[in-house]
Amino acid sequence: MTGPVNEPPADGQAAAHLLDAVTLPCGAEIDPLLEQAADGRAADRDTHQRDCVHCQAAIAEFTALWAPVAETAATAVPAPPGLTAAVMSQIRVLNRDVWYTLQTTEDGVIRIAARIVAALARDSARMVPGVRVALGRSTYSQIAALAERATFQQRHPHAAVGVLGRTAVVDLAVAVAYGDPVHEVARDIQQHVIATLRDHIGLKTVAVNVIVDDVLTDEDQ
Amino acid sequence: MAGREKSRPEVGDGYLVDRARDGYLDAYEMLVQRHSAMAHRVALRLCGNHHDAQDIAQDALIAAWENLARFKGGSSFSTWLYQIVTRRALTKITRGRAADPADLLDPVADPGTGPAAQAARNLAGEAVTGALAALPLPQRAVVVLHHFEGLSYAEVAEVTRSSVPAVRSHLFRARRTLGKKLEEWR
Repeated sequence: MTGPVNEPPADGQAAAHLLDAVTLPCGAEIDPLLEQAADGRAADRDTHQRDCVHCQAAIAEFTALWAPVAETAATAVPAPPGLTAAVMSQIRVLNRDVWYTLQTTEDGVIRIAARIVAALARDSARMVPGVRVALGRSTYSQIAALAERATFQQRHPHAAVGVLGRTAVVDLAVAVAYGDPVHEVARDIQQHVIATLRDHIGLKTVAVNVIVDDVLTDEDQ
Repeated sequence: MAGREKSRPEVGDGYLVDRARDGYLDAYEMLVQRHSAMAHRVALRLCGNHHDAQDIAQDALIAAWENLARFKGGSSFSTWLYQIVTRRALTKITRGRAADPADLLDPVADPGTGPAAQAARNLAGEAVTGALAALPLPQRAVVVLHHFEGLSYAEVAEVTRSSVPAVRSHLFRARRTLGKKLEEWR
């Protein structure tokens, strides 16, 4: 690159003309100048640019040229409504998380999907002060194991999970706020979740396994 | 329990990825909520129409779930998702129909601007969209990832499985082409 050139450009520097060139009369390469303008660094002039009218004019021209791109890039493009629901619906099918609670009444049978139990448990846990995030999981294998134990005395050849259709085992992974007594928070979660599932779903026996696997400070974002 | 404060800043993606791998669907749902707009936006800017963009975003988010066990965590979840979305979009474009530039950005009503200003912005947006659609795919991808998504050259290289010099080279050519198209529009 040559030294600064202080004479103004002879016939202006239309962007189209500039974009066909490799360098400016001062020797500065076009591409880095276009990059500088496009990246929004027009004001970050180096020593040469501070004294060079060619570079200053080119950067100004490129900044104006690039403005519609910057404006379009800044335009919000919201996700289509229902995208998250559509994704999760397909994943739940893939995950085969399809067991139900079962309650037989004189009017018929009530089934509530396990994911509803898990979601209620999660939302209930999130209400407990000190909980920063709570994630619910309910697994078929766990409830099957519980059914196995509970029905040991009166085993029926066709005993199934439905035998304990009003029992739920819920895993909750939680991250708690730094400084709060972890065991107290965990105990509060158990009590709160058990009460919620009992009151909202009518489950009789609820086991809530709380796994505190992270303690987060305000900086953990 | 009433004495404890209830403010809850968001947990990081890494935590949610770990829990999602453990089978907590909730964790993955939170990741989808965080990143679905990005997945759709990138797909839309690459392929140019809303219908395909939604399909691409949906497929990519499901593919990410299916492949979560393979995600090594060497990069961020968002970088990994950018990779999946970009690859799927480019595959769809090369196999499918041509993009309709006018469909890239739905005009979003902005109560803070008058009709004339909004119309001017829409025209500018259409010019950018048309110029973007005219770029060769590799150049379009690097422009979208760097100039629209704000990824660094190194991140773009990681997403496109390329190198920083290659990204830089594509961007140099893309900017000149875009610049000339925009100059015609001015």
